[in-house]
Amino acid sequence: MRYALFLGCFIPVRLPHLEAVAWSVLPQLGVELADIEGFTCCPEPVGFLTDRVTGLAMAARNICLAEEAGLDIITLCNGCTYTLRQANETLKADPALRARINEILAETGHEFRGTVNVRHFAQVLSQQVGFEGIRSVVRKPLTGLRVACHTGCHILSPPGVMGFDDPLDPIVLDGMVSALGAEPVDWERKTMCCGWTLTNYGDRESANRLLGAKLDAMHAAGADCSTVICPQCFYQFDTGQMLAARELKMEYRVPTIYYLQLLALAMGRSLDEAGIRQHRVKDPALDGKLGRLTA
Amino acid sequence: MHEAAEICLKCGVCCNVAHSCHVKYDHRFNPRYTFVYDCLASEKRASNPNIWLCVSCHKCEETCPYDVSPVYFIEALKAEALGTGFVHPTIRAEVAQIVSTGFAFPVTGATERQRQTLNLKPLPPKAVDELAKIAEKTGLAARLKEAQP
Repeated sequence: MRYALFLGCFIPVRLPHLEAVAWSVLPQLGVELADIEGFTCCPEPVGFLTDRVTGLAMAARNICLAEEAGLDIITLCNGCTYTLRQANETLKADPALRARINEILAETGHEFRGTVNVRHFAQVLSQQVGFEGIRSVVRKPLTGLRVACHTGCHILSPPGVMGFDDPLDPIVLDGMVSALGAEPVDWERKTMCCGWTLTNYGDRESANRLLGAKLDAMHAAGADCSTVICPQCFYQFDTGQMLAARELKMEYRVPTIYYLQLLALAMGRSLDEAGIRQHRVKDPALDGKLGRLTA
Repeated sequence: MHEAAEICLKCGVCCNVAHSCHVKYDHRFNPRYTFVYDCLASEKRASNPNIWLCVSCHKCEETCPYDVSPVYFIEALKAEALGTGFVHPTIRAEVAQIVSTGFAFPVTGATERQRQTLNLKPLPPKAVDELAKIAEKTGLAARLKEAQP
């Protein structure tokens, strides 16, 4: 299967090590990635926080580029997935709105036709590659690694549009973690937001308390680390945790690992190759455990 | 917007699932209060700073028994805030950045160096002329200018 890789902004600009791991591991699962010139920001804050019509037009323009290449889109971010899927499904279903958006797009030389689909990599891995397909590339099973799965919000709701998992009881990511041989832990506050939006647009102190509550729950469940499928959640659990830990005087750390990094480790990549060394929140016990598992 | 706010029975289910209320990070925030009050009772609808405490997690949408879905109203109030001068400064700056560069975040020398180390392609120039045309046509460019501090 061949996809247009939509990188968005957060990963290529702030977390390029996650981009590197995506280019490196996905093709080995049969997910061929095409580099499309001209994608811009999805554009998340334009759409649902500022101006719906402009947001739809900018999202539609991105989708048009994939349509012109004849490829479905694969994303690495919950926010990009939400924006692009919402726009895609809305414009496919509403001819009047599609006409209005196409009129706005006319000067750019693009036309939204509604011929492609948008999928998050977690959807591609769980629904198309399948758990068995994931298991088939595992060379170093992550046996005994206890992982708190945080699916995030925007890939879940509304489920009719997003088509991934139950927003109030998500379990697909747990299955993906099990496929690597690791052990997903049951933890409280699993469906609560990571708080990234609150850190940036709301109130940092409150966001820290929200983050602290989640990390307490992961720690109480005995998690070695958390795993995420969204760069905003990743940033919050990594850099955000580093900053919050000072204020909250936290006595422990719960490092986070983006799912494709866990997959890379299970496929036999080293900690360096998976980009784990670039993380801000480190725990010697986790490094030791991962070192033994991937040796 | 008014109609949906009138449907709300203030049952409080959204407050049970709103993460903001859960960790009691700010006693002021209450999705029910924020949108009902702002839709029906306030003369300056988008001036309530509590709208920025909503994280758009959509859990209220999943659980609201009357399909009121406060999240969409709070987002509409956030959008309205751009025109009324109550927009959060980070949002305004980020949106302006997207329109002018195609990226939501500034690309720095450190970004380029890190990409080089990882053998990733340099970030390509974005289609900013096309974004500018879209923002002109929808009026977003003018609204951003007006909202400048």
